[in-house]
Amino acid sequence: MTVASQVKKTLATLKGNQGTVRLYAIQTRDEETRLVYKEALEVTEDIINDLERRMQILEYQEPQYKGN
Amino acid sequence: MQTWIQILISSVSLFFLLLILIRLMGKRNMIRTTPFRFVSYIVVAIIVALMSINLIPNLAFGLIALSVWVLFPIALEYLSLKSKWIHDLVNGKETVLIKHGKIMEENLLQTRLTGEELLRELRCQKVFNLADVEFAVMEDTGDINLLMKAHKKPLSSYDLGIKVAPQAEPQTVILDGNILNEPLFSLGVNQEWIKSQLKTIGVAIDNVFIGQVDSSGDLYLDIFDDAIQLPQPKVKEMVYANFEKSQADLMSFALETQDKAAQQMYYRHAERLKELMEKLKPYLLR
Repeated sequence: MTVASQVKKTLATLKGNQGTVRLYAIQTRDEETRLVYKEALEVTEDIINDLERRMQILEYQEPQYKGN
Repeated sequence: MQTWIQILISSVSLFFLLLILIRLMGKRNMIRTTPFRFVSYIVVAIIVALMSINLIPNLAFGLIALSVWVLFPIALEYLSLKSKWIHDLVNGKETVLIKHGKIMEENLLQTRLTGEELLRELRCQKVFNLADVEFAVMEDTGDINLLMKAHKKPLSSYDLGIKVAPQAEPQTVILDGNILNEPLFSLGVNQEWIKSQLKTIGVAIDNVFIGQVDSSGDLYLDIFDDAIQLPQPKVKEMVYANFEKSQADLMSFALETQDKAAQQMYYRHAERLKELMEKLKPYLLR
């Protein structure tokens, strides 16, 4: 597995997590819990953005694996 | 009029009258009530029984007695709500039986409780060692309540310094295969949500005996067919595990990359994710 595809995999895991946490943030009935989930969403959003930026650089460096 | 018709009519009407009167007298637990209240309930019951089988020939006399025994307790209750003095007079005060781990013998005498009876009451509350009790009090209803010594109290998460997620009461949304609308609305979801949840689990609504939604919004089901093993919701544990995995991935990326800036970025995010996991742990795992 190339570096790019590894990063892509982590990116997918984080995005999946983000979706689940967002769901819990909506359906929980406790305000404190909701705030913690919201914070988790912000942090993951940040990481996802940086990883995506990194992905672009990697795909530029390894154009032969682009899209894998 | 024949006697049996008379008895029938008076019994039926007294039945409903008594129903209303007992409701008027309040919904407090009969057994956990003060002795006097208990007796007044019995007197009301006896008067009604006597009237019902015509042992009190004059209906008016019976009703007078009944109204006194119903209204006086209600009146006393209102007065004791207003005045602490009357409350203590009517209900009595609680009596301290054990203080600082020592039995107050004179108070025990006052409540006419023998040492054996006290020990029996303690044993009823799963306390076999008198040395474990810090404080015990007999309430005006005759119940005995205990405070255990601090080192004998059950351990709480507070004692351990562990944060646990706050939990609201679960809502029962399915009962006997029927979706209950009122709790659903208080959760802020509709029937479609339940149906989609059931579809994901793969259970027909008719097969569900009880369905409860906990405070985090997970649905727990008990189904009629006990042979079927239902998957328990483990989504939150999965989320935590995924965060853990991502954090490990970020660390390994940081080690592998040659790019200094990227390495910095990976390390920073791995650190942030670790902090986040610490914070999420009570909510996702506990």
